Amino acid sequence: MKPGAVQTDLLEAAVAALPADKLAAVRQAALAQFTASGLPTTRHEDWKYTNLSPVAELSNAWLSDTSATSQPAEFDTGVTSQIDAHWLVIENGIVDAESFADLEALRDSGLAISRLAEGADESAIATDDPLSAFNAALLQDGLRLKLAAGRVLDKPIGLLTIDDGSVAVTQSRILIDVEENARLQWVEVALSGGGERQFANTVTQATLSSGAVLDVVRIQGRQQSHFNVNRFTARLSRDARLNYNNFEFGGGLARNDIIGDILEPGAEVNLHGLYLASGQQHIDNHTRVDHRVGPAKSTEEYRGILNGRSRCVFNGKAVVHKGADGTDADQANHNLLLSDKAEIDTKPELEIYADDVKCSHGATVGQLDKNALFYLRSRGLGRDQATQVLTRAFASAILGKLAIDECADYLAALLDRKLDALIDDK
Amino acid sequence: MKMLDIKNLKAAIGGTEILSGVNLEVNAGEVHAIMGPNGSGKSTLAQVLAGHEDYQVEGSVEYKGKNLLELAAEERAREGIFLGFQYPVEIPGVNNTYLLKAAVNAKRKHQGLEEMDAFEFLKIARETTATLGMDPSFLNRGVNEGFSGGEKKRNEILQMAILEPELAILDETDSGLDIDALKAVAKGVNAMRSPERAIVLVTHYQRLLDYVEPDFVHVLSKGKIVRSGDKSLALKLEEKGYDWVREAANA
Repeated sequence: MKPGAVQTDLLEAAVAALPADKLAAVRQAALAQFTASGLPTTRHEDWKYTNLSPVAELSNAWLSDTSATSQPAEFDTGVTSQIDAHWLVIENGIVDAESFADLEALRDSGLAISRLAEGADESAIATDDPLSAFNAALLQDGLRLKLAAGRVLDKPIGLLTIDDGSVAVTQSRILIDVEENARLQWVEVALSGGGERQFANTVTQATLSSGAVLDVVRIQGRQQSHFNVNRFTARLSRDARLNYNNFEFGGGLARNDIIGDILEPGAEVNLHGLYLASGQQHIDNHTRVDHRVGPAKSTEEYRGILNGRSRCVFNGKAVVHKGADGTDADQANHNLLLSDKAEIDTKPELEIYADDVKCSHGATVGQLDKNALFYLRSRGLGRDQATQVLTRAFASAILGKLAIDECADYLAALLDRKLDALIDDK
Repeated sequence: MKMLDIKNLKAAIGGTEILSGVNLEVNAGEVHAIMGPNGSGKSTLAQVLAGHEDYQVEGSVEYKGKNLLELAAEERAREGIFLGFQYPVEIPGVNNTYLLKAAVNAKRKHQGLEEMDAFEFLKIARETTATLGMDPSFLNRGVNEGFSGGEKKRNEILQMAILEPELAILDETDSGLDIDALKAVAKGVNAMRSPERAIVLVTHYQRLLDYVEPDFVHVLSKGKIVRSGDKSLALKLEEKGYDWVREAANA
């Protein structure tokens, strides 16, 4: 066995031990695919800075005895009362029945919801990268949601993903269809508890029909010892719009792949992200927008604040395919380093195969402005408070892009707490 | 009451000496003007008094009988020192009201007073802008963000008026202002004059002193005070130019 690889025999045995339910065929196909590829390594360009061998090691330990459980941790799930939304809960990869029933009641509003455990089309579960295949091979449950044409719900749908520490490795998969001219607002909050190491592998696949709008706010606040790999893909038809806000505040190793695929003209993808890292945290944000046709637009701005010995990665790629004339693509990544031990590897990237395009990209890495710091201190603000004010201001550019108003107060308060903790990391 | 007592103050940055032995006494109730040509060390003196950390400092400075040089910039501010910046810093994303409220409460906390709530603070802030004849929209803007030169200086005066310092040091608050803005700034400064407060005006030109009459005028040259006098010294400088004091200093 290669070091840093998932042991095939253990994985096969674990998949075979799962019940012969309606996801069995999906799992078998995905298993074959994953065993052929294995986990990506740092030799893989997209994984150059993120080493998954701790994930492989943890997975092997868990696969050798998948029935082992630890004491579940208690932690604050008050977010469901602080953000006004129709809340769904997925706990340790399993959909919570009560919240599922609540969402079923929205049938008259045009929402159709089903559990993947009760049947899913093999072709609907994407396995186009090794971690998606790993996810599908071990998938026990998940959700499919469809909002009917022209519909808008009274408030957002919230997904609370909880890993309470009782299970070391969890998978979850969500399929979202927004039909023609419908608008769906989706808030996802990922939390974890328990001191043991833990790995959550989450995949969301969205399909936006003509004129559909999907607003997403993702807030990742997992514990600092936990691993999370998250993949979000969206396919956009004519005039569809995706607004994705990504707040990465937690996790020991957190990797995001956000992918927008523009299939028809007039579509728009807006990606805005904020990551805060301190201690030994490693946060890796990869985004990709494929402009297959034009005219279409994508904008992206990610900002990061790093302290301690944290390390972050940003890779934002826009691919303008041949013939995608009239493409307008902007990318920006700005970073504030509060410690000389913190590291950011940033690469905004453009691949252009069309002629008539308007594209820009840029990245900055800086420290707090000394003059601004002195100015604030000369007004009586202590060094930490002045740092808090300046980092908050730096982050506010992303908060200002928030696509779902219901999250604003919760996020503002959470950001203050997270910044205080981050600045305290000396 | 003696507010400030500076003895043989030296300051250097990156090995270059800027202040080479400044002596100055300022009492409560007085307005002092410090004048001097470019590069004489005026701004350095103001920044050193406010606690800028880039300078290596020697000598002694007592403020209200305490060793000022031991205090961090924020402690000096909480003890009642205010520096009006020559180049006020733009801080996009930080609301002016937010900064002012944080500043007022940092000082109140230091004094053992209860923090002011948003409502109470806003009332005072609105009253102060009205007294200074300023547009209340100032309060809702980002700190100096996109402000014109005159607006930035007026914002410094607004901050000073709200923070009510015991010692206000205004560094070239008159530079780059048209006559209306200059009058507005002067009005703000005059409104601050009181027997409990001292004001130090650092300026290159005499014209501010037409509107804010100083009790004492000092001329700084090559990092030292070379001449002190009353307001007539400023007029004499205006007439004879800085070469006159340079010659006097060299003689």
